[in-house]
Amino acid sequence: MDKRVYVFGRDSVPQYLRLEAGEELMMTLVMLPGTDLRIPLEVDLVGPGASLDLAGVYLCPEAEHVDLRVLVRHTSAGCHSRQLFKGIVGGTADAAFDGLIYVARDAQQTQAYQENHTLLLSETARVESRPQLEIYADDVQCSHGATTGYLNPDELFYLRSRGIPEPEARRLQMIAFLAPVLNRLPEELIEEIHAGLS
Amino acid sequence: MDDLLRDLSAQEYKDGFVTEVAQEFVPKGLNEDIIRLISAKKGEPEWLLEFRLGAFRKWQKMRPPFWGHLRLPRIDFQDIIYWAAPKRPEDRPNEIDPALMETFDKLGIPLHEREVLAGVKPKGEVAVDAVFDSVSVTTTFRKTLAEKGIIFCSFSEAVREHPDLVRKYLASVVPVGDNYYAALNSAVFSDGSFCYIPKGVKCPMDLSSYFRINASGTGQFERTLIVADEGSSVSYMEGCTAPMRDENQLHAAVVEIIVEKDADVKYSTVQNWYPGDAQGRGGILNLVTKRGICKGTGSHLSWTQVETGSAVTWKYPSTILKGDYSTSEFYSVAMTNHWQQADTGTKMIHLGRGTRSRVVSKGISAGHSENSYRGLVQMGPAAEGARNYSQCDSLLIGSLCGAHTFPVIRSRNPKAIVEHEATTSKISEDQLFYCNQRGIAPEDAVALIVGGYAREVLSRLPMEFAVEAQKLLSVSLEGAVG
Repeated sequence: MDKRVYVFGRDSVPQYLRLEAGEELMMTLVMLPGTDLRIPLEVDLVGPGASLDLAGVYLCPEAEHVDLRVLVRHTSAGCHSRQLFKGIVGGTADAAFDGLIYVARDAQQTQAYQENHTLLLSETARVESRPQLEIYADDVQCSHGATTGYLNPDELFYLRSRGIPEPEARRLQMIAFLAPVLNRLPEELIEEIHAGLS
Repeated sequence: MDDLLRDLSAQEYKDGFVTEVAQEFVPKGLNEDIIRLISAKKGEPEWLLEFRLGAFRKWQKMRPPFWGHLRLPRIDFQDIIYWAAPKRPEDRPNEIDPALMETFDKLGIPLHEREVLAGVKPKGEVAVDAVFDSVSVTTTFRKTLAEKGIIFCSFSEAVREHPDLVRKYLASVVPVGDNYYAALNSAVFSDGSFCYIPKGVKCPMDLSSYFRINASGTGQFERTLIVADEGSSVSYMEGCTAPMRDENQLHAAVVEIIVEKDADVKYSTVQNWYPGDAQGRGGILNLVTKRGICKGTGSHLSWTQVETGSAVTWKYPSTILKGDYSTSEFYSVAMTNHWQQADTGTKMIHLGRGTRSRVVSKGISAGHSENSYRGLVQMGPAAEGARNYSQCDSLLIGSLCGAHTFPVIRSRNPKAIVEHEATTSKISEDQLFYCNQRGIAPEDAVALIVGGYAREVLSRLPMEFAVEAQKLLSVSLEGAVG
């Protein structure tokens, strides 16, 4: 399987990808604090059996503007796609995620999943999530889920009652929240992200 | 139940008949003179005419919304008759035209209070306001309701008899310029229902409005206003049908609901407008604005809708959760078949702290139809501790239809939680096989599975409505399998 990691601002990130028959791609996108972005990303699954595993993390603790637009288009039968995007938004940042799964008429036996989770840390931050499904074939399994929430006070209390200071406890909660995406990254990048959370 | 389903699947749209009633019309087209004429016919006060004209002037500057996932035929607003009413002979104004009576009998709407009083109909009474084309023809049980101080009458009557209430609440939830069709409705609305539940009163029976489009070339523009004062509660039902015609007829209604402190309103709709024929000819264009506001602390508004009709549905019953700790729910089943198109969903706007909402939407598409869920959940800066959960499922029957989900989640509050999930799938071969193996024919099996799929919503409907909705679903499914 082709595995790729892109950090915005450091790597040149493709805006369009095309997966032919049997191609498998695992791609992870990282938006570090301080990045202002408007990213359009389109992936076409055009050959039978193509598979996409896409994940992303966006960290917006200050005054970032992030606008992520992901379009995954299934035009061939029997393709799989999976998306997982996680964001932490604080300060006066403004983050929007717009993800569309499009399944064309002939793309039967499609399996497509999409998840978007956001944590909102401050009263002045804003998040918007638009997970969308546009489906024209009947023999498909598609689903999406989206949540926005905040750091669970019960978990925080649990950690503090065990002697972990509040800032550290909050950091641990954020690390746990991001873990499913961070696990896909190289060690040094994970370290860098952990260090940046506070 | 099986026999019932079979009988029903043998028929197409059963409410497609036309009633021959002497009717009066205003001339075709729309301009200020027409609006003055409608207003004059209804003997309206000056302020209401001004309201209409203001809305009309706004409407002229507006454009129709284009964002729906819909292919709308071009609507020629000058080719519509904006007012049609059954003629009432001057000499016997208290009797209802027998043909009209028959119409409502055919639709199974009990207009005769006598029947209920004589014990022909069982308990669980329902007070009905019946709207035929542009006017409300009759409202039942008014005396019983009046004893409790409840006002339930046609909109025109409310304007005459309770102008202060109407003036206070009209357009307070859906402003005149809210959207293109709401502006049009505000300019030309004909009749509709008005309902006021005073402080602390629990409405002893379900209230119901039936809307019927009969005349050809007309549109229906009704307006419903429901006000539930502090601590009151009411369950309100709405049903609608129209004759089968080759033309598209326009239905642009506005429903406004005001829920004060600790009041509870349950609003149920079974929409069965004529959906057009199997080739997609004709049918009602249903472009409706429905919105409620939970104004006071602890208020509650619940929407339940079953959509089987109309060629095009554009409808988003919404709630503004303004009062602290107010709650709202939206339960919907939208069924489309043949060439029907539906773009429907809800908006939950959380403004107050601790507000909660729940959205359950079940879409079923068959034939060549397109069925979309479109929703907004918004958490305002003051909505501390607010919470929303939405679930939207789509079921596809056949490979030529489409099912879409377009939710928007906006949060500006770090103490609010929003959860949304959606799935799309078809009726699995395994489920069908299981039923077939036990001697259930494919069509019945599909009706059974769809019934189970929609149960969560149907179970929220008042009893009579639930039975009707179940029947409708199976009729709409007819021809979808095999």
